[in-house]
Amino acid sequence: MTVVCFLASYLVALGLEIWRLFRPRPILWVLALLTGGAGLVAQTIYLTVQQPPLVGQFGWMLFTAWILAIFYLGGSLHHSQLAWGVFVLPVIIGLVGLAALGGALDPPESGGLLLENWTPFQLVHVALLFLGGIGMCVGFVASLMYLIQAHRLKAKVPLRHGLKLLNLERLEEMNRRAVTLSFPLLTLGMLIGLGLMFVKGLSGWTDPRIWAALIFWLAVGLLLYVRYGLHLRGRQVAVWTIVVFALLLGCLSLSHPVGQGSAREKPDGLGRVDGPGEAP
Amino acid sequence: MILHVLGCSYRTAVVGVREKLAFQGEQLDRALDALTSRFDCEAVILSTCNRVELYVGQVVDSLSSKADTVGPSALINFLAEFHGLDVEKVRPHLYQYQQSGAVRHLFHVASSLDSLVIGEGQIAGQVKAAYEKAQEHSSAGPLLHALFRHARQVARRVRTETGISKGHVSVSSAAVDYVRQVFDHFADKTILVIGAGKMGELTLKHLKELRPRKIVVTNRSPEKAQTVAHGCGGEAVPWEKLDELLTQVDIVLSTTGAPEPIVTLERYQKIAARRTRGPLAILDIAVPRDFDPRIHDGDQTCLFNIDDLQRLRDATLAERLKHVSPAESIVEQEAKAFLADWARRRNGPVIQRLTQDLESKRQAVTRNLFSKLNGKLSDADRKYIEGAFRLLQNQFLHGPISALTEETHAQEAAAQHTLLDALRKLFRLQE
Repeated sequence: MTVVCFLASYLVALGLEIWRLFRPRPILWVLALLTGGAGLVAQTIYLTVQQPPLVGQFGWMLFTAWILAIFYLGGSLHHSQLAWGVFVLPVIIGLVGLAALGGALDPPESGGLLLENWTPFQLVHVALLFLGGIGMCVGFVASLMYLIQAHRLKAKVPLRHGLKLLNLERLEEMNRRAVTLSFPLLTLGMLIGLGLMFVKGLSGWTDPRIWAALIFWLAVGLLLYVRYGLHLRGRQVAVWTIVVFALLLGCLSLSHPVGQGSAREKPDGLGRVDGPGEAP
Repeated sequence: MILHVLGCSYRTAVVGVREKLAFQGEQLDRALDALTSRFDCEAVILSTCNRVELYVGQVVDSLSSKADTVGPSALINFLAEFHGLDVEKVRPHLYQYQQSGAVRHLFHVASSLDSLVIGEGQIAGQVKAAYEKAQEHSSAGPLLHALFRHARQVARRVRTETGISKGHVSVSSAAVDYVRQVFDHFADKTILVIGAGKMGELTLKHLKELRPRKIVVTNRSPEKAQTVAHGCGGEAVPWEKLDELLTQVDIVLSTTGAPEPIVTLERYQKIAARRTRGPLAILDIAVPRDFDPRIHDGDQTCLFNIDDLQRLRDATLAERLKHVSPAESIVEQEAKAFLADWARRRNGPVIQRLTQDLESKRQAVTRNLFSKLNGKLSDADRKYIEGAFRLLQNQFLHGPISALTEETHAQEAAAQHTLLDALRKLFRLQE
């Protein structure tokens, strides 16, 4: 099984969701859910078997896409009348596509998850950053929906036409929660990462990925300040969130120094490497 | 089955005529009693602001030849006499349907396909109320029981399987639709009512159904503010505090009679700068408008005026028209189902009688045959002969039963009666 399997499922699901915008039929919603679900199952099998390293772009993007696929299915079931999939599926497809394009840099042979080689701190570091990243993805989707809903309200588009979205308050709340939860997760993850770096004698501190992550974390902090300190709301916060999400993508597109290290150190005959023991 | 509908609606009669033909209160009671006693029939009367209809039915016994005693002319005369009107003046405003046409008409009416506003929800309840009134008076019999129950099912099907009743078609309820596009929950929201216009009352009634935390009312006249506040369970606030209120509330309903905007762009910009709450949804249903339209940004300030609400209503109505065709298909399907079911009930006794008659003749013939051939036939021979006679009986019955069933689908009562009459006469089934 390759990435193409579940990517194709998600593409079909997106096609069905778009078709549903023009011909709102329950059968299309069911088919979209089924194909999306099939994609999720295929992706789960792939991740379980292949175990791509979480520290690399490939693994990180695939895992993020996997979480968002669950988010898509849950949201679609809960908000069956809304154009949920039209927003979430492109993010999933984009992440899987980017992972597939950039995956050559992180071949699976670089060691898989190899959780047994990771220290608890490294695990926690990765998990926290990963969850923080998911939060920003959710914030991005909510922001995009918010901007479109605000535009429709500004233009006074008749309510029954085209996209059916959540109301402004709900979207703003989704964004607020996503960003507010992401920041402490990212902060803690970054602190642990810095700690690990110090333990290794600040090895890898000049790596672009580290600096990109730091800039991303600062941007999230700034986003929170803009919201709670300057009391900006609505459209302005949505635009800020989208910019921060772009920084996240930029950060994800860079190789993790641990991943690079693993790729340079050839695995031994048992497929083991000197693990991701280096500082992020 | 004899079924007639006679009546008038907004399509055929102006409100002045409909008023004269309407049945109110004890008039309805007297009319139901008079109809059933005069024509020995079943009756239901549907009288609403947009239509007055008499549904009259008789179940004709298929084994007898009871004449049709109630017809359209008799009903027109009854209607005119009851209201003391000239028949010839009333007749041009009336329409009538019979048999399958009457079934289809009722299903159309109950499904709101014949309503002034297609998809409106009131008519189903009005049809139900008319039927229940007839039940109280015992004026609805087996035919109208079956018909009106089926009509309710049809209305439910049309409502759930098509989008014909989706959305709001009144300006005041369209306002709530818009507000729901901005806000998710209302238990923590405050509504400000500015002014005391009539249109505002209905819109406020819909907004109250959202169960906001608080309603505050302000008006240049403190007495009017008190009156409106008292009516909606809100709190009256002095007019001078309008700016302060606008910084604190979430939804504004403005319906003053001011000749020019009471909140200009400049004034609102100062207010907006002081707001710390989320978006503000303003329903400006005053004419001339109370709020400068330039304050609308679709984000922190969502301003909807009367034109927007009317546009929403028109869009909803246009959307509903797209669902008329599928709804009509459902009505047609259900009408056929009802008529087929009713025909089965009507034809059942005839078929049963025919079968019993032939069965008894077959048994008599085989008994006679066996008694003459007594001792000459084995058990196997007797069984074979009985089977042969039974087969002959079934083949003989197949033709008439199939013909009757096919005629049922033709939906023409006259043809059905002719065939039934023929079967009665051919097989001497009359009592």
